[in-house]
Amino acid sequence: MTPIDPDHSPLAVISRATLFTSFLKMGLLGFGGVLPWARRVIVDERKWLDDRAFAELIGLCQVLPGPNVVNLAVIIGSRAHGPLGSVIAVSGILLVPVALMLVIASGYASVAHAVAVRNAIAGASAAAAGLILGTAVRLLLHTRPPPRGLVIGGTAFVTVGVLQWPLLWVLVVLVAVGIAAEWRAGSPAQ
Amino acid sequence: MTVTQMLAEIALRFSTLSLVAIGGINAILPEIHRVVVDVEGWMSAAEFSELFALAQLSPGPNAMIVALVGWKLAGVTGAFVATLAACGPSSVACYLIWQWVDRLRQSPVRAIVQRALAPLAIGLILASGYTLAVGADRSPGAVALTAIATAALAFTRINPFWVLLAAAAVGVSGFA
Repeated sequence: MTPIDPDHSPLAVISRATLFTSFLKMGLLGFGGVLPWARRVIVDERKWLDDRAFAELIGLCQVLPGPNVVNLAVIIGSRAHGPLGSVIAVSGILLVPVALMLVIASGYASVAHAVAVRNAIAGASAAAAGLILGTAVRLLLHTRPPPRGLVIGGTAFVTVGVLQWPLLWVLVVLVAVGIAAEWRAGSPAQ
Repeated sequence: MTVTQMLAEIALRFSTLSLVAIGGINAILPEIHRVVVDVEGWMSAAEFSELFALAQLSPGPNAMIVALVGWKLAGVTGAFVATLAACGPSSVACYLIWQWVDRLRQSPVRAIVQRALAPLAIGLILASGYTLAVGADRSPGAVALTAIATAALAFTRINPFWVLLAAAAVGVSGFA
């Protein structure tokens, strides 16, 4: 878990401009889901975190209230530049895309019923779901959770995804069970 | 209701929901729908669905539905007020909690909690991809596009932008 260590972390030396443009990129390209872009930019392109640290951080972002990628922007922004960093990163991932979306929304009505537009959106939507699934598979392959982790993750997938149970209750139970299982498994030596 | 009153209503309604949005905006979507459509009658259920579809088409986090509801009710200012109300309190909470978590850097408890949360997060990401796939994959062609995109992201370093663009291009022909 060294990537979050402040003295050696690449997060501590991100410039404000890079912080803004990186999160802006995630926000603007994140059609159908920002998470695949967040992993790509943070892990592959900027190398701020490795897959394991990314998965751990997004896990925290997931159990806190608010959109997970916005929470991610708050945390990475604060690591880099304190409260101002959080504001910069959130502006990039959230406020600029809102402005863009309003432009799209204004023009949408005029093209909404064109068959070509509807078909293109159907194709892109199908692929967007795949981008998220592929990101999950990639994180799984790169973090290689132990069997107890696979059980927790598998249960989360089946209950929330397949059975569509309310997320809050699933989280309450799985967070408790997951922590207990890690605790029993012993020392943090990884 | 004047525009100012409406903006105040939006700020109040969305900011009170912000701190219970565990799992993101999707977690409070049913409650937003209930308030906006059933309780206040600010728009019809059909209008709400249309905004939801539009939010799905737009880039950015899924919080975009909140911005669109604000936009419909009170214009551009409404969009930003709604977004800040829905994401502001949760972001401040996240910031404060992170300052505390960060101080536990050397703590074995933090290491244990983080290791427990990582596979849980992966399972939930898989669940959200699955949910979107169920909604989007209404034909064998769409299923194929989802499968190809999944493999491309999992096993190659291809830029996701090209995957989306290619899928949209293939989709124009009616493939999906």
